[in-house]
Amino acid sequence: MLDMFARLRWCDGGLTEPSEPRNFTPSERGACGCGDCPGAREWAPRSMIDVPAMTELPARFAAIVGARNTFSAPSDLRTYECDGLLGMRIRPEIVVLPGSTDEVAACVRLAREAGMPIVPRGAGTGLSGGALPVAGGIIIGTSRMTRILAIDLPNRRMRVQPGAINLDLSRALAPSGYYYAPDPSSQSVCTIGGNVAENSGGAHCLKYGFTVNHVVGARLVTSDGAIVDVGAWDGSADALGYDLMGVVVGSEGLLGIVTEIVVRIMRIPEATRTIFATFPSTDEAGAAVSAIISSGIVPAAIEMCDALAIEAIVAATGVDWPLDVGAALLMDVDGLAIEAEHTADAAIALMRDCGAIEIRAPRDAAERALMWKGRKSAFAAMGRISPNYHVQDGVIPRKDIAAVLREIAQLGRDAGLRIANVFHAGDGNLHPLVLYDAAKTGEEARAEAVAGEILRVCLRYGGSVTGEHGVGRDKACYLGEQFSADDLATMQLVRAAFDPLGIFNPDKLFPTPRLCGDVPGRYVAHPLEARDDVGRG
Amino acid sequence: MNAAISIAGVTPERDLAPVDRVQLGTMVRELAAAQRTFAFAGGGTDLEFGNAPRALDAVIRTTALDRVLDYAPEDQTVTVEGGMRIAALDAVLAEAGQMLPIDVGDRAHATVGGAIATNAFGARRHRYGSIKDLIVGVEIVRPDGTVARGGGKVVKNVAGFDLPKLMVGSLGTLGAIVSATLRVLPIPPATRAIALACAPSHPLYAACLEDRSLDPAAVTWSPGEGVLLVFAGLPAAVDAQLERVAARANDAGVAVRVLEPEAFARAQQRERDLRRRGAWRASIAQPPAAGAAPLTLAAGAEQLAYPTLGVTLVASDDEPFALADVERARASATVVLHAMPGRARASLDAWGPPPPAFPLMRALKAQFDPHGLCNPGRFIGGL
Repeated sequence: MLDMFARLRWCDGGLTEPSEPRNFTPSERGACGCGDCPGAREWAPRSMIDVPAMTELPARFAAIVGARNTFSAPSDLRTYECDGLLGMRIRPEIVVLPGSTDEVAACVRLAREAGMPIVPRGAGTGLSGGALPVAGGIIIGTSRMTRILAIDLPNRRMRVQPGAINLDLSRALAPSGYYYAPDPSSQSVCTIGGNVAENSGGAHCLKYGFTVNHVVGARLVTSDGAIVDVGAWDGSADALGYDLMGVVVGSEGLLGIVTEIVVRIMRIPEATRTIFATFPSTDEAGAAVSAIISSGIVPAAIEMCDALAIEAIVAATGVDWPLDVGAALLMDVDGLAIEAEHTADAAIALMRDCGAIEIRAPRDAAERALMWKGRKSAFAAMGRISPNYHVQDGVIPRKDIAAVLREIAQLGRDAGLRIANVFHAGDGNLHPLVLYDAAKTGEEARAEAVAGEILRVCLRYGGSVTGEHGVGRDKACYLGEQFSADDLATMQLVRAAFDPLGIFNPDKLFPTPRLCGDVPGRYVAHPLEARDDVGRG
Repeated sequence: MNAAISIAGVTPERDLAPVDRVQLGTMVRELAAAQRTFAFAGGGTDLEFGNAPRALDAVIRTTALDRVLDYAPEDQTVTVEGGMRIAALDAVLAEAGQMLPIDVGDRAHATVGGAIATNAFGARRHRYGSIKDLIVGVEIVRPDGTVARGGGKVVKNVAGFDLPKLMVGSLGTLGAIVSATLRVLPIPPATRAIALACAPSHPLYAACLEDRSLDPAAVTWSPGEGVLLVFAGLPAAVDAQLERVAARANDAGVAVRVLEPEAFARAQQRERDLRRRGAWRASIAQPPAAGAAPLTLAAGAEQLAYPTLGVTLVASDDEPFALADVERARASATVVLHAMPGRARASLDAWGPPPPAFPLMRALKAQFDPHGLCNPGRFIGGL
């Protein structure tokens, strides 16, 4: 028992009374406020003396969620050792799958009493290690809370449980002519709760915004086990007070666990036009994206694939895209039929001006679906052309796409590695895939180094180290390059307001000296993704 | 010199106007070190908003921070200092055919930082969302003088907590907005409005909103104008939608009128006036499908509703509704007083009862402003 605590360091910033949030002085909390900075200390709960022996905990959790939903045997825990960042694995102490808000709250209270850090988990598809367990900690999974609770067409709202699959929302709404807009490529397996944690994006977020623009309310279990409704729960335009919902979305499981989620729903547009265009190189394709965006056109999506990505996608999915081109754009425009027609024509003209080789429209809905399947399965398709690959996620201003892609290509040449690019061009959200062979000595390390340098290129252009995959464990060490110590300390104030003891998802998001000595994980296709029915990116 | 300033009826001892961001930070740091209370003011167009501060030693005006720091039209983002007037930003954006689609009462005076701090919105929120949907980055001076950034300059970014969202609607209680990066959008080539002589309760209204061949940019209702549908986009698409609405109205036997540009401009001016005129100004918000607002308005009160948002604006020189009814109305709607005479403040809270998540808000305020120096008492629940 005591050994377990000795292994844990808590980002509590020296707080002594969990019930009384207060400001920390810099000397108390250290520059970034993490548990490793000077002034921070190891924390053990006051009630430690009363905490039952570790061996009794599974039974106590089982009393809350049922024995069949409590896992503590090593063989049962293996599934939960990692999320989509498969290269990094930690065995949790216990995994529980509660079935209700009350059960989540009771689990949080018991975990807190037992001094166990809590890692929330949805479908475990995240790519940044946000659901990576903490040693000695508990995973609270939402996979039993999958119900759609209410559809409110007059107010254009829908209320769901956090374990509901993203795509199931739109499926449930389709008969009414509505849909839920954010569409991460993993939408057929990822959960809304996970989307809330990561502020998930997707190809069509270019026009309609990200998870944060569509989630308006949530029931939140906070670190003291309280159940709190945040945001505009009833369909009203805004909630009174601070926009807690806005800060909970994208907080990567550090501020609490959402157990019910209220989302905005939208009418399915009258018309959608899809255009596929090829270019001699990413220079011309990048110029076309810039020309389209700066002309005032707001497409629903513009995605870019370079030659390597096209090669992989063709090999994996059988789409009949040409292999002798340098880049391709896949674009959707939607809205009123008359506007979609006009916008598509204007975009096609701009693409031709920028040097498009060929422009195609899908013949029917099936061909359109195949085109998008090609795009959304691109990450897994890399397995066809490389034994291993590292998926990167960074953002740059949209006007600089061509220049940044040239710099990335140069980084690859310097390191002797191939880099494929398949990404959300309309948002400037890059996904360079650094290809390598782990069997060759030194290649993996070179790939990691190149992937890191790509993020630094993004920052040099005024961008971000993550556009949609999150910081998690994977990029905690880069956050300090994007934000100053004061910026991070300010974010820690937010964390301290929600979770003064740092119980939720410690060792994530914020950089710490200890974490940053670690080697980031490498991307391996998720088993579901490798089965070819799940997309990514 | 500045005219005397007061915030919700409280006049500060000192009226400070820092010349730049450095001086702003220094002033806040010094006031905080001396344990003095302070508030921020932008264009001064919403100084009556909220409850009276418990104490106010100084007001710090941000209007000298009025520069565009970075404008990339091809990226559709702009980074501006918090004290920049919205009309001045409009002029810069218009040169590139772009706009910030946020409606305020007084564009000539209101500032970007003020619009963020008050979560200002109007008719165009129907299509473009609120500032929460447009803000991508922010730089603030915290109540202890620390300068901190959140978000960034790119439109897509999930690195770190979303401090920009937290600043929207916080009414300057978490610090001053030094600068912000906002998404901007192309000005639609054509904008026209059509008025239906009916209320949102009429089936025609619902039919128009459900029609996938109609995509209004804004929807308002007022007793004089009826339902006003604004269409913006390609001229041909706008015309087609006006014709379609007119045909639907004719079928439904509802009188319909396409507004000439001058009439549309007057309608927009009336909307703005509801946010800047009258000793009393209030907003009543409820779910859009809830129907009529749960307060009976006095005969002289002006009103305008955004029926798709469920928000009604009310303005009046005299009491716009029976004050005794407000508490009851607050059981089913959010009634916020944006302005009221000083004599009413003692008995009427500007916000009403705090929401269930208030303990988290209090904890947040305590983290950012542990000594309660920054705009104390003006926000909801005495924050």
